[in-house]
Amino acid sequence: MKLAPLWVKLSAAAFVICAASPVFAEKAGIGWQEGIAAKSGKAKTMAELAKMYDSSSCIDCHQDTHNDWNKSIHARSIFGTSRTAATFKTAVINGLMEWPYSGVKKPEDVKVEHLMGCAKCHLPQLADAEDSVAKEIIATIDNWQDALKKKDNAKATAEADKLKGLNINCLICHNRNAITHKWTDGYPQAGVVYGSKDGDHPSDAFPKMKTSPIMSESIQCGQCHGLGPNMELDNPTQCCTSYGSYLWAYTAEGGSETCQDCHMKKSKLGHNMQSYRDPGMAKAAVEFKAEARAFHWRDGATIKPKAVVKVEMVNHAGHSIPDG
Amino acid sequence: MPVPQQLGRGDRMGRGPYEKSGIIEDTGLPPGKEVRERFDIFFPTEEVEDENGKWVTKPTASELDLEVKLWYLPFGTMNADPFLWDEFKQTVRISTTGK
Ligand code: HEC
Ligand code: HEC
Ligand code: HEC
Ligand code: HEC
Ligand code: HEC
Repeated sequence: MKLAPLWVKLSAAAFVICAASPVFAEKAGIGWQEGIAAKSGKAKTMAELAKMYDSSSCIDCHQDTHNDWNKSIHARSIFGTSRTAATFKTAVINGLMEWPYSGVKKPEDVKVEHLMGCAKCHLPQLADAEDSVAKEIIATIDNWQDALKKKDNAKATAEADKLKGLNINCLICHNRNAITHKWTDGYPQAGVVYGSKDGDHPSDAFPKMKTSPIMSESIQCGQCHGLGPNMELDNPTQCCTSYGSYLWAYTAEGGSETCQDCHMKKSKLGHNMQSYRDPGMAKAAVEFKAEARAFHWRDGATIKPKAVVKVEMVNHAGHSIPDG
Repeated sequence: MPVPQQLGRGDRMGRGPYEKSGIIEDTGLPPGKEVRERFDIFFPTEEVEDENGKWVTKPTASELDLEVKLWYLPFGTMNADPFLWDEFKQTVRISTTGK
């Protein structure tokens, strides 16, 4: 008889959890419910996810910034130079499907959690989507590769454009990922663009401006530019490590410039953040000097003339190059 | 480039970001440190008989065209997107008199 009340309690508790089961897992901190994703609920399709963080309204007033950003690879962050999309697929075929405990036997088994090992940086907003979106991304990469094989250019372009439609846009840097320390500074709120000041912002969908304490700090970029193995994942991945190199090989040795100083300001590229493919960046990166001379070297009685070439190089970037 | 370790274990390099964890070595240029390279290049020589009938080693040329190229290999080989960062060209000479 003593057991009965306990059972009732347990099932009541279980019921409460089910009934209140939010689209998003409860977070411990305060104010996360006011974020874009928590308000709109999880995206079910790639189109819905693109809409959730739709930055097209920003173009009207920030045309130059948009044009600059559009030239950067952030505007194609899961397509990349096409190698990125292809490698997402390889990660499924040669990674997930080969590992016995991943739960992926065929591409259709892929869930958001499986892709977060890449999307963490290439498309952080995938965390605000349902598994159907992860499957749709992989299917779209499939369709794109199929169309390329069949030389169906129109279809290949359409599928590639669909992949390019999901990217790291204004709202990722100026809203979703604008605050790293959310218990200290608060969770990013819907309707706010985060930058360097507080006040009114003349946009209907985003009527407020707020200061993000990290917008001019290296950690803003560091969120996605890699430290080493991503240990928070059940199966750690590792891609770019420029933030790790920046911390341990640059600032630790006395370097004092931020990513923004070099990539946005000194480069004068602003939102068109670039690597060596931009001639100015290539020039800024490496100092290269060489000198040579020749003489008659003597090995005992044998004359062996030789040339000696001495090369000196200094990398003036804020991290090791190449990155990898 | 940083040579990543495969799945954080052993002596194999990992290739795809899904299997990379750890770094075995970094062959790239570290920031802010001078990196020096020195190359010793011998002139081509041949064995010739001198006027006294003795076999001696003689250079076949007194000039050498040198070219140093700094290649950036984002994927570690010349097969994938090599980028020529800088180059240096000079012709060096050795004297043809004296012994
Ligand atoms: C109707 C015009 C308009 C639209 C649309 C608009 N903005 Fe703005 N935005 C402005 C103006 C004007 C300012 C400068 C306000 C000030 O300095 O008082 C500004 C300021 C900002 C700032 C702060 C800049 C700083 O110096 O810190 C950010 C960030 C920003 N906008 C992002 C966006 C994003 C992202 C969008 C799209 C979601 C957007 N804006 C849409 C007009 C607009
Ligand atoms: C820690 C963040 C992070 C993670 C996790 C991550 N990437 Fe990356 N990845 C980047 C950044 C940043 C770059 C570009 C910077 C660079 O060139 O060093 C990049 C570059 C790449 C490139 C090279 C693109 C080119 O054309 O040269 C490929 C391919 C790639 N990522 C695929 C993936 C895949 C697939 C995954 C998941 C298995 C993944 N990445 C995980 C941040 C990440
Ligand atoms: C990869 C991250 C990133 C993306 C994407 C991005 N921004 Fe920014 N933006 C920044 C950073 C960082 C700064 C602050 C730079 C600094 O320290 O001055 C900034 C500054 C700004 C400013 C302040 C004035 C200026 O230009 O410095 C405005 C306005 C702005 N961004 C608008 C936009 C709009 C509009 C978009 C989309 C077209 C966009 N940003 C996309 C990172 C980003
Ligand atoms: C939300 C994640 C994210 C943030 C924040 C971010 N990046 Fe990136 N960045 C990426 C990814 C992912 C790529 C590579 C896309 C690809 O090639 O597939 C990239 C590419 C780049 C590249 C081009 C690399 C190359 O090999 O051509 C540069 C340069 C760069 N980012 C600089 C910055 C700087 C500077 C900041 C901060 C102001 C920043 N990024 C913020 C994710 C991010
Ligand atoms: C002192 C200036 C400086 C600082 C600080 C700096 N960078 Fe760079 N970065 C450069 C230069 C110059 C290049 C061009 C060389 C190249 O592409 O390898 C570059 C290249 C890159 C690349 C492309 C790497 C590659 O393999 O070609 C990425 C990604 C990048 N930076 C990200 C960052 C991030 C993220 C930060 C901050 C954590 C940062 N950078 C800080 C100067 C800087």
